[in-house]
Amino acid sequence: MIKLDRRAFLKGAGASGAACAFSGGLPGSIAAMGAEPLKGSATAVNSMCEMCSTRCPISARVVDGKTVFIEGNKAAKSFGGKVCARGGAGHSLLYDPQRIVKPLKRVGERGEGKWQEISWEQAYAEIAEKMQQIKQQHGAESVVFSSKSGSEHGYVFDLAKAYGSPNTFTHFSLCPGAYGVAAQVMFGTKVKRDLGNSKYIINFGHNLYEGINMSETRGLMKAQMEKSAKLVVFDPRFSVVASKADEWYPVKPGSDIAIALALNHVLIADNLYDKAFVERYVAGFEQFAAQMRDYTPEWAASLTDVSAKDIRRIAHELAKAAPHAVVDFGHRNTFTPEEFELRRAIYAANVLIGNFERKGGIYAGKKAKTYNKFAGADVAPSLAKPGVKIPSPTAERIDTYDKQFSLVASMGGVYQSILDTFETGKPYPIHGWIMARTNPMQTMTDRARIEKVLKGLDLVVACDLYISETAAYADYMLPESTYLERDEEIADKSGKNPAYYVRQQVVEVIGDTKPAWQIFRELGIKLGYQDYYPWDDIHTLQLAQVHKDYALLKRIKTEGYVSFGKPLMLREPKMVADFTAEFATAIAADDDGSYGSHLKFKTPSGKIELYSDTVEALVAGRGNIVFRDVTLKQPDELYFIQGKVAVHTNGATHNVPMLANLMSDNAVWIHPKTAAARGIADGDKIRLTSSAGSEEGKALVTKGIRPDTVFAYMGFGSKNRELTRATGKGIHCGNLLPHQTAPISGMCVHTTGVKLEKA
Amino acid sequence: MNNIWGDMSQYDPVTWHWVIAVYLFLAGLSAGAVMVALALRWAKGEQFESPIIKAAALVAPLAICLGMLCLVFDLTKPFHFWLILINYNLSSVMSIGVIALLLYIPLTFAYALLVFRAPLANWPLLGGVAEALLGWRKPLEVLLFGLGIVVGAYTGFLISAMNVYPMLNTAILPALFLVSGISAGAAANALVALIWFKTDSHSAEISGLHRVELPVVGIEMLFLLMLFSALYFKGGAAASALASLTTGQWAVVFWALVVGVGFGIPLLSRLLPAELRHGKGVTVLAACASLTGVLALRHFILYAGQSYIS
Amino acid sequence: MNKRYVMVHDENKCIGCQACNVACRTENDVPDGVARLQVRVEGPFGEMPNLHYSYARISCQQCEDAACIKVCPTGAAYRNDDGIITINKDKCVGCQYCVAACTYKVRFMNPVTRVADKCNFCTDTRLKRGEQPACVTVCPTNALVFGDANDASSEVAQIIATRATYRDKVHLGAEPRVYRIPAKKGGIAS
Repeated sequence: MIKLDRRAFLKGAGASGAACAFSGGLPGSIAAMGAEPLKGSATAVNSMCEMCSTRCPISARVVDGKTVFIEGNKAAKSFGGKVCARGGAGHSLLYDPQRIVKPLKRVGERGEGKWQEISWEQAYAEIAEKMQQIKQQHGAESVVFSSKSGSEHGYVFDLAKAYGSPNTFTHFSLCPGAYGVAAQVMFGTKVKRDLGNSKYIINFGHNLYEGINMSETRGLMKAQMEKSAKLVVFDPRFSVVASKADEWYPVKPGSDIAIALALNHVLIADNLYDKAFVERYVAGFEQFAAQMRDYTPEWAASLTDVSAKDIRRIAHELAKAAPHAVVDFGHRNTFTPEEFELRRAIYAANVLIGNFERKGGIYAGKKAKTYNKFAGADVAPSLAKPGVKIPSPTAERIDTYDKQFSLVASMGGVYQSILDTFETGKPYPIHGWIMARTNPMQTMTDRARIEKVLKGLDLVVACDLYISETAAYADYMLPESTYLERDEEIADKSGKNPAYYVRQQVVEVIGDTKPAWQIFRELGIKLGYQDYYPWDDIHTLQLAQVHKDYALLKRIKTEGYVSFGKPLMLREPKMVADFTAEFATAIAADDDGSYGSHLKFKTPSGKIELYSDTVEALVAGRGNIVFRDVTLKQPDELYFIQGKVAVHTNGATHNVPMLANLMSDNAVWIHPKTAAARGIADGDKIRLTSSAGSEEGKALVTKGIRPDTVFAYMGFGSKNRELTRATGKGIHCGNLLPHQTAPISGMCVHTTGVKLEKA
Repeated sequence: MNNIWGDMSQYDPVTWHWVIAVYLFLAGLSAGAVMVALALRWAKGEQFESPIIKAAALVAPLAICLGMLCLVFDLTKPFHFWLILINYNLSSVMSIGVIALLLYIPLTFAYALLVFRAPLANWPLLGGVAEALLGWRKPLEVLLFGLGIVVGAYTGFLISAMNVYPMLNTAILPALFLVSGISAGAAANALVALIWFKTDSHSAEISGLHRVELPVVGIEMLFLLMLFSALYFKGGAAASALASLTTGQWAVVFWALVVGVGFGIPLLSRLLPAELRHGKGVTVLAACASLTGVLALRHFILYAGQSYIS
Repeated sequence: MNKRYVMVHDENKCIGCQACNVACRTENDVPDGVARLQVRVEGPFGEMPNLHYSYARISCQQCEDAACIKVCPTGAAYRNDDGIITINKDKCVGCQYCVAACTYKVRFMNPVTRVADKCNFCTDTRLKRGEQPACVTVCPTNALVFGDANDASSEVAQIIATRATYRDKVHLGAEPRVYRIPAKKGGIAS
C-alpha cells in the first residue's frame, strides 16, 4: 500500500480546480507556512460540527495520522449519528493548503490581495490602537461588530459591549430572522416544529432535503416513511423536497403569503378551526378573522397559480389531520418584503388547528429551568452564565434609527442597516467594522455597495478561516482555528427536554491560529478590558458553567451530548402521563391529562397574539395580518430566486477542496420555453442583469422551474482572488440582489427581477 | 439538477485508447504476415528463402515487439509488467494471450534466425543456432502458423470478452480481427519485399499475395456485415451502437478510411490495366491503403465499440 | 465464508446529498477527481407538475459473476473470504482490462496508487473494525442498509424478502449485490 506523506496529502487536497494563482504563495496559508503532520485523537472525540450553522453533534477521530473521519454522535437521538456531506468534509477544510494559519496585515489597497504575515502581538497592538483612536474621535458606537451566530458571536459581542458599541449583528436578518420575529410577536418565544410525529405537513419551500438540518431532515423523512405523513410543497422550483412530496405546486415567487392567508380563510370560513384552543389561548381572533374574510382561495388562486380547489382541499386535509399536522414556518427568507406577514400567516394556520404543544405540531423548547418547574425538582442541571456583567452601551443602535426594527435589535439586528448608515450617516457615521466568520458579500445583498462601505471605513478587521470574499477587504485578517482544533463552552441544545453538548478539540492546532474566544479575549485585554475576562481558558469557563460539578462536566465531555428526562409536550396527555410517572414531584396534570392550564405566553396579553398592539404601535396598520401587494420584478423581467444545496453552506464552504470538487459552479435553472425564446441551450453561457448588477454564468435548462423564474444555488461566483477554487465560478447572487429591507422583520429581501440573455 | 456529485470523467466508457488500437493492429499484422508467408511457401512448395518469407521473418518479430512496447507503456505501472508474467488467471483472455505471446515471440525470432541464416553465418553464436534450427524447420513453421492463428484471433477475443460493450461482445470479432490481420500481414509482406528485398512487383510472389487479397477483403466485408446485422437484430443497446456508423468522427473514420481507403483503393487498383496494376507504384499504394484500412478498423472498433455500453 | 454481503439503496429515502460520497472518500482515501461512490440525481423527468428525479447509487455492484475477476490477468481483482470483491494492489499492473470490462463502469484507475480502485464495502477499513461501511454510517436518511443476505434475520435479508427491489442491468447476468428500492413517482413509498 502506498503511504501518503503529508506533502502528497496536501498536494492531493489542493490539486482540484484551476491552477492556484497563489500556489504556495498566499501569505499565511498552510501552503506557505507548511504544516505539521496531523496529530490528534485516534479514538473518537465527541464534539460539535461547524460546517454550517446547525452545529450537529459529531464524533470524530484521526485515521492513520492522515485524515479525520467524522460521523454523527449517536447519543443525540434525533440526529441519528448521522452527518451530511459538509460535515463529513471537515478535515478537507482543516488541511486545505489555502486556509490561513498566520495573522495577516493588508499591505496594498483594500481588496487588492496584498498581504503580509504578522504576529498576533502586532495584530492586537495595531488593531487596539486604531480602535482607541476611532473611539476618541468618533465614539465607540461608530464601530460595528458582526459575527456568524453561534459561539463566536458571544465573544465578538462581549468585546463590542466592553468597547462601548451597541452595534452588533448576526446573519439573523439575512437568513432565519422573519420567523423568529414573528414567533416572538405571536407566542412571546421562539418555537420549534415536531416534524417527525406529523401526519400532514405543508411546506413553503423549506428545503430540508437540500438545506440539511440533520434533526429536522430526519424528522421529515421519519414522518414521511414511518407515519405516512402527507407532504405538500409550495415552491417555484422542483427541489429535492418537492420531488419527495405527495403534492408539489410551482407557486408564483413571493405569493406564498396568499396561500397561507387562504388556508386561514378556509379554516375559519368552513368552521374547521379548533375553537376551544382559540378561545383558551388566543387573543385578537376577531380582528384576525375579519381580516381573513377577503382572502378566499379564489382570490389566492389569481395571485399564486395554485387552484382554489386545491387550496381549499389542502386546508380541509390539514384540519382533518390536526392537531398532529403542521404548516412548516420555513427557514431562509427568500420570498417577499412581506416576510413578517407571511410567517405570521403561517403561524396563524398552526394556531387555528391547535397544534401547539401537540405531537407533530409546534412547541416551545424546554430548557432546564422550565422543565424542572414542571418536574418539581432539579431533574436537569442548569447552566450558569459565568463572567462579569458588562454594562450596556448607551448609544442608540443604527438599526433602531428606524423604530419599526426595534423588535429585531435584540435578536441579531438588521445587519444590512450598515449599508444605509454608511450612506446617510444617520444616526451617526460609522468608521470601523469588526467581523468574525461572516461573509456578507455572499449572504447580504448589493455586493457593490458592501465593497464601497468596506473601502470607505477607517478600520476593517476580519476573523475567519479563509480570506473570504469579505475578508479580502480587511486591514487585518485574524485566522481562527477550525472547529476540529478548538474547545468551546457547553451549549444548550434543549428541545422537548433539556440537553447539553460541547465542542471539543480533535486535532492539534495547525499553524498559528487561535480559537475565537481567545482572539477576542486577547484583543479585549489589549484594549484594557481585562476585568471583563475573569477566566483564563475555556476549561475554567466550562467548569463555571456546570457550577463546578466535575462529574457532570466529565459526562458531558465524554458523551458529547447529554439529555435529561423525557420529552415533554404540554398538551400531549400521553407525554404528560409519562412525565408525571417519571418524576414523583411533578406538577399534577389537568383533568384532561395535559398541562394545558400551565401554558402561558410571554406576550403582552399572555396569549397567542393573532393581532399585536406592539406591532401596531411600531407601524400603524401592521398590528393585524394583512395582505399587501408587492412588486418583485418588472414585467419584462424574470423572477430570480436562490436556494441551498446539500454540499455547500451559504458563502462559507465553496473553497473547501472536497466540497469544491463535488460542486464548484451554480448553473442557472431556466425553463425550456424561457431558454428557447432566448436561443439558450443547456450549458450555454448566459448573462443575468438586475437593478443591482450583472452576472455571467451557465444555463441549466430544466423543466424543474417555472417559465417566469430563474433559480441559482447561492454562495458561488466569489470575486476575490484568494479563493481560487471558488472565484469566478458561477453566478454571484449577492451581486444581483438589490438592497431592500422588509418592514418589521428587517429581513434582506432575496427575490428580485432579472433580465436573461445569452452571453 | 446541477451536478453535485463531482467529476464524471472516470465514467467515460472509453477506457482503452489509440495505443491499444496500435497494439491490436501490430499483433494482428505480425501474425498475419507469418500466416500468409507460410501459406504461400507451403502452397508453392518453395525450398528457398523467398522475398516474401524474408519479409515475414522480419515483420513478425518487429511488429509484435513494437506492439508489446505499446502494451507495456499503456500500463499505469509499466515497470511492473513482469507481474503479469508470474501471475496467471486462466479465465482471463489477457492471461491466455500472455501465454500465447510468450511462445509466439521467441518463435518469430527463431524463425527469423533460420530464414536469415546465410547473412548470419559469420556470427559465431547466432549462426550456429540458426543452422541448428534448420532441422526443425517444418515443425517450427507449423507451430508458428498455429500460434499465428491464436495471436491473431486473441486480439479480437481480448476485446470481445467484455459483455458491457455490445459492439465488441460478438463472436465474429476474433474472426474479423484474424482476417484483417491477414490482410495487413499480406500488405506488410508485400511492402517489405518490394522495398527492402527488391522483389519485382510482377513477380510470382507478389502475384501470389494479390491472389490472397480479394478473398480476404471479401471475407472481411462479410464479417463486418455480419457484425452490424447482428447488432441490428439484437436491438436495444446493441442496435443503438450502430449509430457509430452514421454519426460522429468514428463514422468518418469507418467510411473514409476503413471502407474508402482500406477496401476501395486495393479493389479499385484491380480495375486498372494489368501492366499498371502490377506496377511497383500501384502495388505499394494498394499495400499502404490496406494497412491504413486495417489500422483504421482497429481504431473504429475499439473507440466506437467502447462508446456504446449495455 | 458463506457470507453474502449486499447493499440496499432505498431510492425513496435517498435525497442525493452526497454524505455517502464524502464519507467514502475520507475513509478510503479516495483522491480528488475520482470516486468510488456517487449518487446521481437525474431529471426531472415527466411533465410539470408531475415531475420526478431519479436517485441512483453509482458504485461497485459486487457482482456474483464479476467481469473484473474474470478478465484480470494477474488475479489482482479477487473475491476475499467475505465474498467481497476487492483489489490486491501489489498484483495490479494497471492494464485497465477490469476498468473496461466492468459491467457497471464503476472501476477506475486511482491516480495516486496507479492501480484499479472501486468500492469494496469498506472491507479493509470499517468492516475490519466491525463497523458498517462509511456510506451507511453517515447516510442522513437511513437510505442505505448493509448486511449479510445469507443471514435470514438480517435487515437486508428481510428487505429483499418483503420489499419490491430491483437491480441494475440484470439482463447482463452479472448478478449484482446492490439492491434498489424503486422510488414512487411524485412521492415517497413507505
